[in-house]
Amino acid sequence: MNTMPRRIASTALACLWAAVFSLCITPAAHAENAAPEGETILQHFDPATGKRIIPNERCLTCHGDEKEKTDVRDDGSKVNIFVHRDQIEASVHGEQRCNSCHTTISRVPHREAPEVIVGCVECHRSTWEKHKDDPSGEHERLKVVVEQIDSFMGSVHAQPSKLDESRTNATCYDCHDAHTVGKLGTQQREENRLKNPELCGSCHEKQLNEYRTSDHGKAVLEKKDSKAAVCSDCHTTHAITSPEGDAAKKAITKNCGDCHEDAQRTYFASYHGQVHRLGYTNTAKCHDCHGGHEIKGKDDPTSEIHANNRLENCRNCHTDANENFLSFWPHGDADDAENYPALWIAKVFMQALIFGVIAFFWVHVLLWLYREVMDRIQGKGFIEDRERPDIVYFRRFPAVWRWIHGLFAIATMTLILTGTTLLFSHTAWAKAVVNFLGGPQVEGIVHRTAAVLWLSIFVAHLAIALTNIWRKRQTFEWFGGTSMLPNWKDWDDLRGMFKWFLGRGPRPEFCHWTYWQKFDYWAPFWGTAVIGSSGIILFAPEATATILPGWMFNIATLIHAEEALLAAIFLNSVHFFNVHFRPERFPMSTTIFTGAIPIEEFKHDHRLEYERLVAAGELDKHLVKRPSRRADLAASFITSVLIMAGLALLTLVLIGLMTMPD
Amino acid sequence: MTKTVRNLLLAVLALAPAMTTAAPSGEALAFTCAGCHGTDGSSVGPSMPSIAGMDPEVFVDAMKDYQADKRNSSIMNRIAKGYTTQQLEDMAWFFARQRLHLLPQKYDAALAARGKILHDKHCEKCHEDGGRPGDAGTLAGQWMPYLQHTMDDFMSGKRDWPRKMKRKVDAAIADDGKQAIPALIHYYASQH
Repeated sequence: MNTMPRRIASTALACLWAAVFSLCITPAAHAENAAPEGETILQHFDPATGKRIIPNERCLTCHGDEKEKTDVRDDGSKVNIFVHRDQIEASVHGEQRCNSCHTTISRVPHREAPEVIVGCVECHRSTWEKHKDDPSGEHERLKVVVEQIDSFMGSVHAQPSKLDESRTNATCYDCHDAHTVGKLGTQQREENRLKNPELCGSCHEKQLNEYRTSDHGKAVLEKKDSKAAVCSDCHTTHAITSPEGDAAKKAITKNCGDCHEDAQRTYFASYHGQVHRLGYTNTAKCHDCHGGHEIKGKDDPTSEIHANNRLENCRNCHTDANENFLSFWPHGDADDAENYPALWIAKVFMQALIFGVIAFFWVHVLLWLYREVMDRIQGKGFIEDRERPDIVYFRRFPAVWRWIHGLFAIATMTLILTGTTLLFSHTAWAKAVVNFLGGPQVEGIVHRTAAVLWLSIFVAHLAIALTNIWRKRQTFEWFGGTSMLPNWKDWDDLRGMFKWFLGRGPRPEFCHWTYWQKFDYWAPFWGTAVIGSSGIILFAPEATATILPGWMFNIATLIHAEEALLAAIFLNSVHFFNVHFRPERFPMSTTIFTGAIPIEEFKHDHRLEYERLVAAGELDKHLVKRPSRRADLAASFITSVLIMAGLALLTLVLIGLMTMPD
Repeated sequence: MTKTVRNLLLAVLALAPAMTTAAPSGEALAFTCAGCHGTDGSSVGPSMPSIAGMDPEVFVDAMKDYQADKRNSSIMNRIAKGYTTQQLEDMAWFFARQRLHLLPQKYDAALAARGKILHDKHCEKCHEDGGRPGDAGTLAGQWMPYLQHTMDDFMSGKRDWPRKMKRKVDAAIADDGKQAIPALIHYYASQH
């Protein structure tokens, strides 16, 4: 300051004076009285926004007054204004301020008749959006609320009312009393459950009256049993759609099963349930037989499932159903030996058969694989001599057998694919296959068509085989080397093979047919008897019921499926290995399509027959030229396609088995 | 550098008062009220209401009613018309911040006791806390003649009843007859 020129210093001084002078005036205009001590009106306002804070206590002065629960509207009508302080405080909204939801209320006392307008959706959505990443998880439940809001938005309740388009059919607070929305597991929620039927019934009166007469209704409304089914248990709480639609029908069936677990399990084991689980609603569902709102036990004479009324239910779909339908077990349980002994025995027998056959042959396969691999390592076994390519072939199958095998394979695979979609209706692939085919009705037609073809082939084969035997009746040896009938040599060969597998003996020498080929041949006879007869029973239920009792459907369904499962696994694993995959044959044998087998290979596998033919001088009659290149390629192509299809089916079946719900 | 800072500072100091004079503060506007409503809104006159510590929204409502000639007044309606809404709000917040100084009044203790019973039964839900400042205005400690004038205005139809108030007053009169209004007035006067 000392160095400042005088003139400038005096200007600065003048400014300073002016400033000081102005400071003397402005305090009078600016100075604010310190906030008065004690309570002032300012405490009723939010200092940040200047908006009035209305404490809940202020609202409860009038709305929580037990002595004056009602008030009179401006038009003289009475209105209930009472809210339970304790309920609100115990509810999930207990810490909210009243006018956080009742946003139209800004003044107390209300200057005008207040409108009850609450925007639940926006608040819950924005609160969840704000807190969804909170590590505390305090708002976790809002996620469910927001999901339910979305379900509600797609529900029939969120549609505009037909009587008044300006409003929806129902909105949040038509069902929820926000003042009593309890936290999970609280008494409030139990109480709200018990109130659910009457709440829904305030609009759906007819349904409520029906429900009152039901076992569920009596338990809830009379015995106050909050565990019994209320409306929302079957219809869902928010994703409510028209009961005529597939979505509702599926949801209701699923929801019945939430409590009636055994009933659902056994239902899904039936044809009705299998089709339903594939996603179709054209077969009987819980409420088709049991009724919906008036559901009662089977002993109640007014119940839809009472013995006197049951046939009416069957006739809703099976219009020609007769008395025999009554002995059908809609919830037959093959695991319940006490109540369903026949079904239980059938299951135990079929499963023992499956397990026994598959276990035996899989061991057979593994040991055979082991032996051939070991032999090849040691340079033994049948190895193609590339210096002397196959020129001469042995004619093993005439054209008719080749056609029969080809068509039989295609029919069998079609039957496996369409049939196992029902057995494994729980899988995604089954749903996709049925959807691809165009639904269960089309699938049923495809399955039946393939079944007719399959049986026709079987019968045709039988006729041809018997004709052939008849022609050769003078010389035919029933238990000779060219006969398909099993004989003692097969038993010896089997034992011999196991010895060979284990390195305790030479590979047995075979006649025209080996024992595993005979097994492959005779298995379809058993299969035809079991799958065919059960299939015919199931083919046309009304027709079958004119002869057989209803429980035969249960037995037939079970053994049809189990036997088919056995066939599907056996053919696509054991048969494939024996014929195509064992190292001597790998990757495939096309003999069944070309009809010819290289003479060296024939010699190796059927040496006894070869020697017999040589000795008898008959070999030349059976020798043919090598199949043409085109015939060879065609046979390889067809074989490849069938093998691939078979392996795909095996995969699907195994997926189905492994993911089978209990 | 120091010079620049100093000069800037001085310039700001010099201009600051000029900027504030552009719009008078709520306090400055409220100076004119003091003549009737007392310094900072604590009335000393017998027929003028105290407006210190008053609910600011009630203040604005009242002034707007005066502007619209909805309230009976001698000169208040004319005065009210001179202010913009913003000015009314500024004044409202100024008075809301003031501490209410009440002067003792002579009242009949027996009547006041009766008035308390009537108040609790009929008036308390709106005029909370014995009529202390709130969203229903200020009754506690107001001058008795002012309370009397106001009730006369309501009773004679010169001022519209607030929602539901007539029903409540009728109920109080049904309880205590002609005594009801004086009892309430004495009760409010007893609070200071």
